[in-house]
Parts: sequence; C-alpha cells; structure tokens
Amino acid sequence: MQRPTPAFIVTSSRPRVGKTLIARALIEYFCAQRRPVAAFDVNPDEFKLIDYLPAYTAAASLNDIRGEMALFDQLVSGDGTAKVVDLGHVLFEKFFSIAQKIDFAAEVRRRSVVPMVLFVPDADDRARQGYAMLRDRFGTLPLVPVFNEAVPQIGRHIVNFPPTESGGMPIVIPALSGVLRSVIDKREFSFIAYAARTADTTSELYGWIRTTFLAFRELEMRLAAAEQARLAQPAARRLRHSA
Amino acid sequence: MTKPAVILVGADKGGVGKTTVSRALLDYLLAHNISVRAFDTESPRGTLKRFHPDITDVVDITSTSDQMKIFDTLASSESRITVIDIRAGLLSTTLRSLRDIGFLDAAAKTQLTFTVFHILGPSIASLEEISEAATFMDDAHYILVKNFINNTTFFEWDPATYNSYFKKIKDAHEITIPKLNEMACEQVELASVPYVSFVANKDAGGQAASFSFVLRGYVRHWLGNVWGEFDRVKLIDMVAADLQRKGAARQA
Repeated sequence: MQRPTPAFIVTSSRPRVGKTLIARALIEYFCAQRRPVAAFDVNPDEFKLIDYLPAYTAAASLNDIRGEMALFDQLVSGDGTAKVVDLGHVLFEKFFSIAQKIDFAAEVRRRSVVPMVLFVPDADDRARQGYAMLRDRFGTLPLVPVFNEAVPQIGRHIVNFPPTESGGMPIVIPALSGVLRSVIDKREFSFIAYAARTADTTSELYGWIRTTFLAFRELEMRLAAAEQARLAQPAARRLRHSA
Repeated sequence: MTKPAVILVGADKGGVGKTTVSRALLDYLLAHNISVRAFDTESPRGTLKRFHPDITDVVDITSTSDQMKIFDTLASSESRITVIDIRAGLLSTTLRSLRDIGFLDAAAKTQLTFTVFHILGPSIASLEEISEAATFMDDAHYILVKNFINNTTFFEWDPATYNSYFKKIKDAHEITIPKLNEMACEQVELASVPYVSFVANKDAGGQAASFSFVLRGYVRHWLGNVWGEFDRVKLIDMVAADLQRKGAARQA
C-alpha cells in the first residue's frame, strides 16, 4: 500500500513563538530519513525559512490566485513528498479562510494526503482565539498544540489549548539555552549535520534534536494510525465523511 | 401526467452573463436528477452547446421551423423541462412571439409552467427592459437576476425607482449571482465542461482531468452560492416539484 503523503502546517496567530524553528527541524527530520520534502514559507515581507533551507523551500504568497494555486495545489498533491508550511501570523486568518472556502480538508482526504496543523501558542489571548477558531472550523483537520518552552509563561496557559480528538495530545519542544539558541539561529547551521558529527550524545543540543525528532515521529505515527482507521471504515461512510 | 416546463433565460443586452446562468441552471437541474433539454439560440455557433453538448441544440428562435422544433415537442419530449438560452436582444421579441403562438395562453390555462430568468445589466435601460417584459408576465414565474460575475455594479439604480418597476410584476423574485474569480471563470471556459465536471476534476469525456484544486474550490464555492439562490426562490417547486418527487422515488 502506498504511504500517505504528510502535510504539516506549522502556524500560530501570534508572532515570535518559534514557528520557523519548528518548521526547520521538521524539514531536517524528513531529510534525516532521506525522504523527499518540500517546504513553503508563507510569511509576507519576511521570508526566513527560505533563508535557512533554500534548497527545500519555496516562498509562497496569498496575494493573488496564482499564489494560492502555487501553494494549495502542491499541498493537496499526494506525490509522496512530505510538505511543511511555515505559516506566519499575518496570513493565519487568510490561509484558513481560503482553506475553508476551497474545502481543503475534504480534498486532502481524497488525495491520500494526511495533513496536520501544528499550532504554536503564546500566553496572549489572541493565541487562544486562533486555536479555538481552528478547532471550531476545522473539526476533521488534525490539530496539535505545540508548546515551545522557550515562549514566556506558556506553561501557565496550557489549559487554553486542550487536545483535539483528531490531533491528539500536545507536544513539547524544549527550550534551549541562550548560547545554543544563537548557534542554531545561524543560517548555515544544520541539525542533522551537527548530530552526525558530534561525539557527545549527552549534549543539550543533541538531546534537543533527539527529543524534537521523536516528537515528530510520534506525530507521524498518529497520522498513520488515523489514516488506517479511516481506511478501515466502510467505503460508504468514508464517502459521506469526505463529501 | 407531468406538465411541461419552459425556462427562458434572456436579457435585452449582450454580455450580462445569460449563458453563465443557463449553465449553472442546467447543472442544478441535472444535480436534482431532473431530465432537461436545452436550446441555444446563439445560432449558428452556440455557446451553451459547447458546455452541455449532449442535451443542447442550437436553434434560430426567430425562425418558425425552429420555434416548432422547440414548442411543438414540449409535451412529447422525454425531458419535461426545456431551458432556452435567448440570444442577446431577443428577449422581448421572443416573449412577443410566444404570446402570438398562444404559448402564454397555454401557461395561463396551467397547461404548462413558464419561468423567465431576466438577466439585468447595470444601466438604467435595464429597468425599461423589466417594464417591457412585465407586459408578458401575467402567468409566468419571473426571476430577475443581478449578475455580478462580470464585476457588474448596480449602483446607478435608485432603489425606489427599481422597486417601482420590480413590483409591477406579480410573482417576481430576485436572485443574485456572485462574482466568480476571473481565473477560475477563464479556466472553466477553456475546459469547455459543465461547472460540476470542473469541480469533479473531469474533462469533457468524463476522464480524470488536472484542473487546479484551488480553482475547483472557488468554482465549487461559487456554484454552491448560485444554487443556494435557486433554492431560496424554490426553483424546483416552481418548475418540477412532481418530477423531483418521482426522481426521488426512483432512487429510493
């Protein structure tokens, strides 16, 4: 059986929560397994992901229908290439408004694409509202809160981002010390290159990479399990669900 | 025996989107499992026929032989609903002809159902068209269509003036066709398929096509809104309530 194509949308309704870092790590997670991956940087006027991983990343725009086609037509393609979208807070509303209008959730199911929205919150109420909007409007789209421990006071607001039935429990990205943060922020830094060359598997950064990649593997397993459960449903029920 | 129904789609001005409405209408009726035939009066080269070739004939509505081809077969045709896409500028002429051949009298005697979709243009002259059409509409369902698909604006109209024309007509309804994204519109044109086929990603031969998912999404959304307008005025009840009941019974 052909493996379904994963499509991860890393997003938030708030800026500076670590979306691009998580998207970078996710791309390298697929690269580490020698799996094809294509990424989209949807941050108007501030392309960052593309600066880090230009070989895998395309700048995407939602300014006109051509931009929408370039992004969404790729996202629904069940071509076996994993997709990672780094969706900035400025276009958060617009992206999901388009997705709802063109019925993105139904189309991906038809194309054997398994999407997952990774929502990175902060303590601001607008993050809670953004998450609630996704939960309410996209009930069938797997949605997972991603708590970045580097985001101030996020631990106190976890209750605002309850697990969803379709996405499962939140995942946690550990915080890195300031020095290591400045190391990984360098454009030439690569997680897999570092992991390959380091001899010290007890280092903080190695531990961060291992924890984060294990979290991504856990997410993939959830998607695979959900897809298997969906395929096990009687065909008529699947059709009703995707109609 | 089910009464035949005739739906006329027309305007006295060109370029207001008559064929767009006809296409959406045919898709709508077919989606309700209602057998329908269509006549395209853009003789000799029909536009509607390009999108619905299996159910559309191109005719010259001004010729007697073609009028016979349409109206003399209303009762004998397998399709009890006939949609006629009237060529620009011929709406009033056609209504006059229908009166002259006794068609409007037949509608008055409830031997058939007659519905007119009058597509409005943005100019004040359109209001005069309403007035002219009104003289033929005593026993018809009259649906005024504000068509925004071509980015039309209707701001020239004073609402009070518009209402004074609109309210002259008994059993008149108003529907709005929203704007469809230009590129989506263009791609459906190039594909020459019904809107539902485009949405389903099927080419004219029914084979899988490779239309953009985004464009298909926009067309699906737009078509849903148009059909919502048809639902709102209870179009099926107007033209084919008993046909739909039979179709549903057949499916059950």
